[in-house]
Amino acid sequence: MINELMIIIFAPLLAGVLAWIFDVKGIREGVAIIGAAVPLAYLIQAYQTLASQPSIQYSIVLSGFKFEFILYHLSWVFAMIAGVVGFAAVLGMVSTAKDSYEWLFALMSLTGVYGVFLADDLISFFIFWEIMTFASFMMVLKYNRKASLKYFLLSVLGAYAMLIAIGIIYAKVGAFDFTSVQRVFYQDAMRSVMGSDTLFSRNELLLIFGLFLTAFGVKAGTFPLHVWAPDAYSETNQSYTAMFSGVLSKAGVYGMLVIYILLGTRLMYEFGNIGAAPKFGYVIAFLGGITIIVGGLLAALQEDIRKLFAYSSISQIGYILVGIGVGTALSIEAAIYHAISHALFKGLFFLIVATIIHRTGKTQFKDMGGLAEKMPVTFAMAFVAILSLAGIPPLVGFASKWLIFEAVIHQNMPILGGMLFFGSAIGFVYLIRFTYAVWFGQRPTELDDTKDAPLPLAIAMGILALLNVVFGIAPGIVAGELNKIFGKEIIQGTIWELNLGFGRYNGLFITIWLVVGILIAAVIYFLGAKVRRVPVTDTYQAGNPVTMDYNLTIRRNFFLPLKETLAFWLRMSFDRLYQDIGSWVEDLAETLRHYIYNGNVQAYAWYLAAILIILALWGV
Amino acid sequence: MVDWRLFEPLFEFARRKSLWIVAFCTGCGGIEMPPLMTSRYDLERFGMMPNPAPRMADLFLITGYVTPKTLKRIIITYELQPDPKYVMAHGSCPLNGGVYWDAYNAIKHLDKYIPVDVIIAGCMPRPEAVMDGINKIMEMIEKGTADGWKRYKENYEYYRKNQDELFGEGWREKEARRWIPWLMDRKKEE
Amino acid sequence: MMVIETALKALLILLYATFVGFMFMGIIRIVTARIHRRVGPPIYQPILDTIKLLSKKSSITHGLIYDFGIIYALGATILALMFIPLGGVSILRAYGDLILITFLLEIPMLGIMFAAMSSGNPWAGLGAQRALLTLLAIQVPLGFAIVALGEFYGTFSTYQIVMAQQSMGWSITSLPLLLAAVAYDLVLQAMFGKEPFDIMIAPGEISLGPMVEFGGKHMGILQIQHAIALFAETLFFSNIFLGGAVITAFASPIINTLATLVVLLIKQTAVLMVAIFIGAIFPRFTIDQAARFYWKWPTIIAAAGAILAAL
Repeated sequence: MINELMIIIFAPLLAGVLAWIFDVKGIREGVAIIGAAVPLAYLIQAYQTLASQPSIQYSIVLSGFKFEFILYHLSWVFAMIAGVVGFAAVLGMVSTAKDSYEWLFALMSLTGVYGVFLADDLISFFIFWEIMTFASFMMVLKYNRKASLKYFLLSVLGAYAMLIAIGIIYAKVGAFDFTSVQRVFYQDAMRSVMGSDTLFSRNELLLIFGLFLTAFGVKAGTFPLHVWAPDAYSETNQSYTAMFSGVLSKAGVYGMLVIYILLGTRLMYEFGNIGAAPKFGYVIAFLGGITIIVGGLLAALQEDIRKLFAYSSISQIGYILVGIGVGTALSIEAAIYHAISHALFKGLFFLIVATIIHRTGKTQFKDMGGLAEKMPVTFAMAFVAILSLAGIPPLVGFASKWLIFEAVIHQNMPILGGMLFFGSAIGFVYLIRFTYAVWFGQRPTELDDTKDAPLPLAIAMGILALLNVVFGIAPGIVAGELNKIFGKEIIQGTIWELNLGFGRYNGLFITIWLVVGILIAAVIYFLGAKVRRVPVTDTYQAGNPVTMDYNLTIRRNFFLPLKETLAFWLRMSFDRLYQDIGSWVEDLAETLRHYIYNGNVQAYAWYLAAILIILALWGV
Repeated sequence: MVDWRLFEPLFEFARRKSLWIVAFCTGCGGIEMPPLMTSRYDLERFGMMPNPAPRMADLFLITGYVTPKTLKRIIITYELQPDPKYVMAHGSCPLNGGVYWDAYNAIKHLDKYIPVDVIIAGCMPRPEAVMDGINKIMEMIEKGTADGWKRYKENYEYYRKNQDELFGEGWREKEARRWIPWLMDRKKEE
Repeated sequence: MMVIETALKALLILLYATFVGFMFMGIIRIVTARIHRRVGPPIYQPILDTIKLLSKKSSITHGLIYDFGIIYALGATILALMFIPLGGVSILRAYGDLILITFLLEIPMLGIMFAAMSSGNPWAGLGAQRALLTLLAIQVPLGFAIVALGEFYGTFSTYQIVMAQQSMGWSITSLPLLLAAVAYDLVLQAMFGKEPFDIMIAPGEISLGPMVEFGGKHMGILQIQHAIALFAETLFFSNIFLGGAVITAFASPIINTLATLVVLLIKQTAVLMVAIFIGAIFPRFTIDQAARFYWKWPTIIAAAGAILAAL
């Protein structure tokens, strides 16, 4: 009992180390699956404990520092995301992992995520954050050095920002644990209401907020700090990306929630509200809105399947940030709901991508096509994932998106509402591109003997697809858990129904009537003449004959008109901006080395003399 | 599954009154289509509609002379159409070559290659004549004599033999390998 | 008993919607013909077309998705229909959430796109591309219009919005929602697939785009789907902007219902007429022109409406 939290956190790491040491095929996979399954089992068990008591706590003292861990409803929900999607990703890695190196760091990053979610003080939060970053960096490093360095640089930026913020907080508060920090900021808020002096001045508060926002924004992939994500997500084992995008990005989202928990009250009183929503949240929400649009538009223009889903992941994170930014209880619940569904459908998508790449060895859209016939199981999974991401009722993607829409629009935020609508359309757009280029059309001849998904991947995809459907038809299951976080019935209704008072969504009715509608359509269909199966070459091309020798399916530049329409905007790129800054810094260093630090002793003597003269003139 | 014979008169009526046209406007007859479609003669009165996709077409109009190159496309387009389908040929050229009776590169007898239900005589037939032809095909559908699609199925070997004699065996694949590279290479030049 | 009653009601609504939808399609063709100074087909022509297509004696398929996409499109349209308030008779009007219906009206297109793309025809791919970009273009003004409605009424229930209009007057009598209605009506033009936004179908240019491979019963089912979608879209517009109709003046509930349907029918026809008139006199936009158009004026109008509604 006492070590429950420690087992949850360290079981994956232990399994990873064991898998690394016993580098035998078969054993390492088994150990890794056990390592991912144990925390999940403990978390499921902890659900019953949490029903009777508000939280499970544990602390250890190591060389003067007290590390505190806590499992309560919020962290349980996030840990369950990590547990389920992490488990599925590990199952997927059974098929795709090449060596024990990957096992070690994949499971290490899982440990890091669990640690972040369960930490109850800033120091352990930071340490596990860094473990997570380091492990995922190592996963990318093995595949692509440049992408990993970009990821590393931005992560280091985030880490320093977080460290400085933690330092400022510690200097004033004198404690690391969340409870004390939260209490101090709460008292500060009360003091500022009274008009008396506060511990943190307005500017310090703003600085801490900005630093935390940078730190968590990097991990979540917020615009304009998203540039690492497309490269890092695509240049690694795609099964691992299911975890990377599905779970690790949630650490950034969780971080945003930590801002609310620690600084929320103070920030709200200091900067005031717009309507019912806090002003500081607007920053997060608007960044989220821009993230949706930028990520989505760029996703539609990608030519690489991994890049497409990397950008789409960024875009979908934007929804979560909008929900968090609006800052009402409902919108935060909606955001957490979308975090769950994002993990489910995005994890599923990256496993599908892993399967495709594993089986075909191709990553570019131009090399694919017509795979639906060859990989029916994977295609069925992709169908579920596409419907879920596009927000088609009755799947989980719709339930959570619907909640975010309602929460945002109900707070009278027209511009954010428009951004959300645009985001849902752009979702359709890039998904159709993926569907058309990969699954349909003429198949290149070298893909003719492609096999369907290997069993572990199929199981992993099956788990996630099932949850996508179940949580969509019965959204109340999730809503019930989310209500527990706030301790009140914010989303009412039964397990089939979400009832907000000003809007209702019933997953069961939609399912029933969709089935009824499809049955009616099927009756009409089956009353008609018998169908004859024709090959893909038997299509109308203005009367011209078609042969399989030439592939007529549009694979490259599918959304060319969009590219042309957006030509002006596409010229701006934050990625290029950062690269330019990087090369300027490099040039500057080069100049300095050339003219000043040129290794000439005489020159150094002159500098010394000049400084002495300046000091003398100054009158020292 | 269900015995639809009871509804057959209704279906016949619908088929007669809703002819969707794929017009193969290669020859000069194509110019007769605009007056037919627009306010002068207005074919839509009879439920007819021009339609670019052969998969949902009923009436196939061959408007003018046919060359081997176009005949290949005509045959492919014809085979794409679902049954029942009707073919109507404009003018004397598809009937017997017309003014091209001695041309080396025109098809003199279209009905050797695909079954033709109605041929409108004239060079060129006036829109009134075309309307008369349409009236005729509607009557034939009503009587059940517009059975070109049945004849094509029954005598497929005959038509296939004539086509292959003209173009040579495997002409579809050969043609496909010819036109696609032509299209693709042109793209590369850009 | 409840189940039978619901089923009967659903069947009647479905038959009514299909019938009126086909009449609308007929009206579109007749009115366009009259604007062209033609006689035009009889009003029941779309029904004959559908019967003819369904009675075709041969039919092709390009695989399971090709069939399922079509069935899914019709099923999803029927689903959407059930959620839109039809006076006092609709079945799921309590769940007729604005955003849900907006999404439900879009998903039949996804089914059609899946079916079209699975045929492997390049025209279909091109059509899918155009359809999606049109969707992307219309989504911004559409979103703002829906946002304006949600903010103005403070509720997302379509039925409550209809009821509110019975006492407050039609939505379009207030300025923010008038702006939203104008933008939504421009969007409706693209949702109907009428000129100048029939970019996705573009007959003669890309051979009907997504529809190029559908024939026989597939196209027949799509005709039915189109009829129901036409009914549902005009009904949704009449409900949210033109006051809907809930008539309780008569003693008999049956007469009340009939009167409601008649009032709704008049409003729907009015919405349709605007679309036909615009459609009959404009040529087709290219896709980037359409995107630029929708991202400029309708977006500005709708955003102004949404911001005014929020204040």
